[in-house]
Amino acid sequence: MLYLIGLGLSDETDITVKGLSIVKSASRVYLEAYTSILLVDKSILEAYYGREVILADREMVESSSDEILHDAQNVDVAFLVVGDPFGATTHTDLCLRARSLFIPIRTIPNASILSAIGSTGLQLYNFGQTISMVFFTETWKPASFYDRVRENASIGLHTLILLDIKVKEQSLENMARGRKVYEPPRYMTVGQCCAQLLEIEDIKTQEGEEGEGGVYSEESLAVGAARVGGKTEKFVSGTLRQLCDSADKLLGGPLHSMVLLGRRTHELEYEYVREFAVDKEVWDRVWKRDYEGKQ
Amino acid sequence: MVNFTIEEVRALMDKPTNVRNMSVIAHVDHGKSTLTDSLLSKAGIISAAKAGDARATDTRADEQERGITIKSTAISLYGNLTDDEDLKDIVGQKTDGRDFLINLIDSPGHVDFSSEVTAALRVTDGALVVVDTIEGVCVQTETVLRQALGERIKPVVIINKVDRALLELQVSKEDLYQSFSRTIESVNVVISTYFDKSLGDVQVYPYKGTIAFGSGLHGWAFTVRQFAQRYAKKFGVDRNKMMERLWGDNYFNPHTKKWTTKGTHEGKQLERAFNQFILDPIFKIFNAIMNFKKDEIPGLLEKLNIKLQPDDKEKEGKQLLKVVMRTFLPAADALLEMMILHLPSPVTAQKYRAETLYEGPPDDEACIGIRDCDPKAPLMLYVSKMVPTSDKGRFYAFGRVFAGTVRSGLKVRIQGPNYTPGKKDDLFIKAIQRTVLMMGGKVDPIDDVPAGNILGLVGIDQFLLKSGTLTTSDTAHNLKVMKFSVSPVVRRSVEVKNAQDLPKLVEGLKRLSKSDPCVLTLISESGEHIVAGAGELHLEICLKDLEEDHAGVPLRISDPTVNYRETVTAKSSMTALSKSPNKHNRLYMVAEPLDEEVSKEIEGGRIGPRDDFKARARILADDFGWDVTDARKIWCFGPDTNGANLLVDQTKAVQYLNEIKDSVVSGFQWASREGPVAEEPMRSCRFNIMDVTLHADAIHRGGGQLIPTARRVLYAAALLAEPGLLEPVFLVEIQVPESAMGGVYGVLTRRRGHVFNEEQRPGTPLFTIKAYLPVMESFGFNADLRSHTSGQAFPQSVFDHWQILPGGSPIDGTSKVGQIVQAIRKKKGIKVEVPGYENYYDKL
Repeated sequence: MLYLIGLGLSDETDITVKGLSIVKSASRVYLEAYTSILLVDKSILEAYYGREVILADREMVESSSDEILHDAQNVDVAFLVVGDPFGATTHTDLCLRARSLFIPIRTIPNASILSAIGSTGLQLYNFGQTISMVFFTETWKPASFYDRVRENASIGLHTLILLDIKVKEQSLENMARGRKVYEPPRYMTVGQCCAQLLEIEDIKTQEGEEGEGGVYSEESLAVGAARVGGKTEKFVSGTLRQLCDSADKLLGGPLHSMVLLGRRTHELEYEYVREFAVDKEVWDRVWKRDYEGKQ
Repeated sequence: MVNFTIEEVRALMDKPTNVRNMSVIAHVDHGKSTLTDSLLSKAGIISAAKAGDARATDTRADEQERGITIKSTAISLYGNLTDDEDLKDIVGQKTDGRDFLINLIDSPGHVDFSSEVTAALRVTDGALVVVDTIEGVCVQTETVLRQALGERIKPVVIINKVDRALLELQVSKEDLYQSFSRTIESVNVVISTYFDKSLGDVQVYPYKGTIAFGSGLHGWAFTVRQFAQRYAKKFGVDRNKMMERLWGDNYFNPHTKKWTTKGTHEGKQLERAFNQFILDPIFKIFNAIMNFKKDEIPGLLEKLNIKLQPDDKEKEGKQLLKVVMRTFLPAADALLEMMILHLPSPVTAQKYRAETLYEGPPDDEACIGIRDCDPKAPLMLYVSKMVPTSDKGRFYAFGRVFAGTVRSGLKVRIQGPNYTPGKKDDLFIKAIQRTVLMMGGKVDPIDDVPAGNILGLVGIDQFLLKSGTLTTSDTAHNLKVMKFSVSPVVRRSVEVKNAQDLPKLVEGLKRLSKSDPCVLTLISESGEHIVAGAGELHLEICLKDLEEDHAGVPLRISDPTVNYRETVTAKSSMTALSKSPNKHNRLYMVAEPLDEEVSKEIEGGRIGPRDDFKARARILADDFGWDVTDARKIWCFGPDTNGANLLVDQTKAVQYLNEIKDSVVSGFQWASREGPVAEEPMRSCRFNIMDVTLHADAIHRGGGQLIPTARRVLYAAALLAEPGLLEPVFLVEIQVPESAMGGVYGVLTRRRGHVFNEEQRPGTPLFTIKAYLPVMESFGFNADLRSHTSGQAFPQSVFDHWQILPGGSPIDGTSKVGQIVQAIRKKKGIKVEVPGYENYYDKL
């Protein structure tokens, strides 16, 4: 049996009781460690579970899944995924392969950022499509998210933005040479994300009619979140410009996510989020002007 | 003594209308360096006695030893016209006074060193083309002439070694005239083939004064203009009219005392004016001196107004002939006159060269500065090559100021060939330490150099690999990168004899690469050091330099091998599909051969990644039958973003396709640099992207996912398209007497050679054989040929094209080609068998 087990969001104790018992009895346990990371080390997990855990990086999951699935017809293999197994990042490919090998699959769900983001005080009912923000390079600035944000904004919904993490990425040169040398890990911050959002808005506005800019602006309200579900959880809210300038200092280390507020924000949501505001006066002013009572 | 000072030279630099930048170009052994000597002797750099033997511009010991030029050498000379009247003959350009600065570059004639010629041509505006009277227009004459015209460089011609025709072949006057006019015709055929509207008609004619005749060895030469000047007074006619009469079918009828175009008078043959007025005195001198008719000589000399020095009068035979002819018709005078009157000044030339020299828009400050040759504009300087200094391991950057003024201490932007405006790649900002004037083997310091002049720069060699653009404008694009007519197809690997010398070898290879415009040095994956050159001779010289100079350690050198290219010979048998590692993205591609003509255009730099895509699409559609939609959707060229492989987008309505373009292009560069068959570069392949499916979210389709996938699908597509291996082929031109032709054919046949042209050179027993010879079979060809023709055959080999290596499929390990592929793979330390397409192909 292949078990896909959600680990929750912050530390070793977030695993469900059901999940823990499977981990203890499984013959092999893999920890997927590239789509997201736990806030604690693998060794702490191992100590808590009382057993060995194999780290599965991108290469292993994507290129040598046979190893993971080996003999899973007869023994139990646990595949640990941070958050929920079918949450933000899917592992459908692994399941499809397992299926083709006639390996039965069971999923143990857990909390995901998709639900935990509710702790910002924004109601999950009011969220539109989730998007991801990747690290831009000089020549690569994918802007397809912009259309998703536009669609969400057109009916006044919030947009949850997941931020890129780069764990064990090869540089272009190393990839071409086939050298397994990896870049140091990088995690995008809310500040970087806001800067990139504004950069794309600029480009779209400049393109004029074709680009159809104006989906959001420096004065759009947003909430930044850090280490949701952990002991050091932290939220900051403000305009994109404010977050761009000061969110990173206030939020601290990884992992970050953020929400771009929709026009139809409820008053209760407003009051809740106001507590996190960088500058409450600005928050109130923008709220009154652009959000309050809008349908 | 040198008869001019640096101060004089510097003063002339400020008058760009009176500057002539010119290169001396020709086939090997047609006498460039020897002719250059006479100019140097006139300038007082070498003594008259040594001129013709010294070959002063051959500054390297091995150049003197072998008697061939290897590196191009620049020298600045001072020249003047004696008469204000002469200035009137400078047509179509302004002049300021009778003093001129001539920056001359003597270049090598052997095809292996053509890249030196390219580097020389870039910085000059005019060319003195030297042609041997007896051998006529040869393969390299044609190549250099074509290169010159491609750079919009105006040619003048000297027909050299006339003394040999007189002394060895004993031809008659009319035969000599016919031989001259045949040679001139062949030169003009080449010139008119490469006609360029902006340059105008630059065919050469004796009666226009753009052709000289002479002997570099004996130090004499003349133009029709010089004789016209003598006779114009005598006949009392206009000089220009006289010039026209002294060439072609013009006769002076002594009976009627009238000029006529009819060759006969009352049934009797008249003597052609050229023969009668120009060749006759020369023939008389030769006849009198070589036949020791001592009593005739003084009269003849007096008649021709030739005054000898007292001690020269004692000489006889060839020595006397040399002195007499040199006094009668000094070569330097004829050449200087021809260059000053007919070659363009930088001011004139840069007007029409600006657009071909500059990569950026024609209306920005840099281009306008170049067009106007403006010393006050932002600096635009092209470094065309590196010249070793006496300080080991350091180089002068040799180049030409096209706009602005360069001075010591000036802070400049050093833009390498891969620089793109607005980015920081391949860009340094550094100060120039010193500026110098190149004087053959020596240099002279100079404070500053304004637009239109050639110079050397100290202190920027570390920041440029081989060539590049220097500018003070932040927005300037590059001056166009030079395209070489030869490519480094022959390679040898080197290793040190003593392991501890390895660092010296690595350093030496770096220096070698800098010192030669064309040589390629690389380290293969297996740690082998490889040096690649244009031919065996080129490589031999480079390796000798490496061992004795750049590295200075004993080396072990392998046998020469050739460079292969991978290609496809058919369309992929099915559409190749690869999925990204996360399986969320799929690429569908098909490979097919690219037209050979298109590949050649790309390699010749006539179709390239920097062209306007609409204009490029027009050319591809009109001249090569491409579909216009396809032609407009060329994503990139590769390898190295300019190679002869294309990636074409044929998808329809794929959303966010542009967001993966970068990654697919990177994958394409990677795959085209190291192909699927033997990890050799690909050539002449076209890849069509048929369809793409993508994950909706950018995070799941980053470079990490798409680059390896693009490479895999390209490999699969290529392997499905009947891959082939291309080998380089030389064009060999062999000059050989009829008696030794059998030997030539024998050697060629044994080496897979294929003769496609055989022609007798009129008036000589010499035949010119042209053949294609695979480079692989050319090693030791020269020696082999020598032994089978008793040394009577002279071959010149130049890379011509790529051809499919015959002998089966490269992916079939049992075929001959397959064996070669496996040997390459083994050497590279990769799996010996070529992986099948299944390794790269994912099932739906």
